[in-house]
Amino acid sequence: MLKLIKIIMHIIILYGIYLIGNWIQVALNLFIPGSVIGMVLLFIVLMTNIIKVTWIEEGSKLIINHLTLFFIPATVGVMNYFELFKGNGFLLVLIALLSTALVMALSGVISQWLMRRKEVPHDE
Amino acid sequence: MMNSLIALLSIGGTLVIYTFARQLHIRAARTFTLPVITSTFIILVILLTFHIPYETYMIGGDWINELLGPAVVALAYPLYQQRDILKQVMVPILCGALIGAIVGISTGILLARWAGFDELIIYSLTPKSVTTPVAMAVTESLGGITPLAAVFVMIAGIGGVLMSAGIFKLFRIDHYLGRGVGLGSASHAMGTAKALESSLVEGSISTIAMVFSAILVSILTPGMILLLM
Repeated sequence: MLKLIKIIMHIIILYGIYLIGNWIQVALNLFIPGSVIGMVLLFIVLMTNIIKVTWIEEGSKLIINHLTLFFIPATVGVMNYFELFKGNGFLLVLIALLSTALVMALSGVISQWLMRRKEVPHDE
Repeated sequence: MMNSLIALLSIGGTLVIYTFARQLHIRAARTFTLPVITSTFIILVILLTFHIPYETYMIGGDWINELLGPAVVALAYPLYQQRDILKQVMVPILCGALIGAIVGISTGILLARWAGFDELIIYSLTPKSVTTPVAMAVTESLGGITPLAAVFVMIAGIGGVLMSAGIFKLFRIDHYLGRGVGLGSASHAMGTAKALESSLVEGSISTIAMVFSAILVSILTPGMILLLM
């Protein structure tokens, strides 16, 4: 029971930071979404010890463990766009997939290459 | 009264289906059994079978959707846990995310142009590699179709997660850093959820790559459209 209250408190704090992030986005007219601003903000206050990690730890662990749950309602929204992908619209799916594969491959290969160069001594 | 009943039903139903999907994934442990894929599929089948509109489902679904914001905020926690490792790998992550952003935008524009799609569709397709709210904001500023942008984000997310094992094998990406950057740059938060399954470090790297690419894609897209259209 105590743990449940703790988790709810943690999630309320996370939600509060999200609202602050939204507020900053609107106030400064930024193109970065409030949730991402909130994440950067939380990282900064954790690093500077303004918020102790124990204030958000249990709630964050629970949310991150079930991260994909929160994508489900938005993903179901694809049902309103089935029409678009009939006929040659189906090509759009292929294009999106091919482009995604290229992004993953190239960004992965380059960062891995840079990392390996750092890890091994430079006398090879 | 009716609305709160519908809300309870769709929230409860989503949670039950998700719990079942999670158990299935723990037992089967294949990429295509990822809870987001199987749950979405089951819910789609139910909604289509009983002719329930998406808007009705979202009376409850919105409550879960609303938690996506604090969920993204919570990603600061693994970043904080891994802070010492992250300091040493900032440069490779940034370079990877930059290449990813350029490749994603340019191939999106060029392939769609080559296939003969009009501007409105191309504007909705280009920001697909970043998290939904950013992609929708980018598409809106270009004058594209925002709900369509969200659909392409989903395709990049689910497709990328499904293709990741094959891509990593084909291109010999076996370092946790390369995998994390690849998943975060191409498939945003869904890729990050997948990376978190491997390890906290890979998940944190993916989170950083996702944040960098969100920022880079929003800055680079308008210029690259001018250049390539």
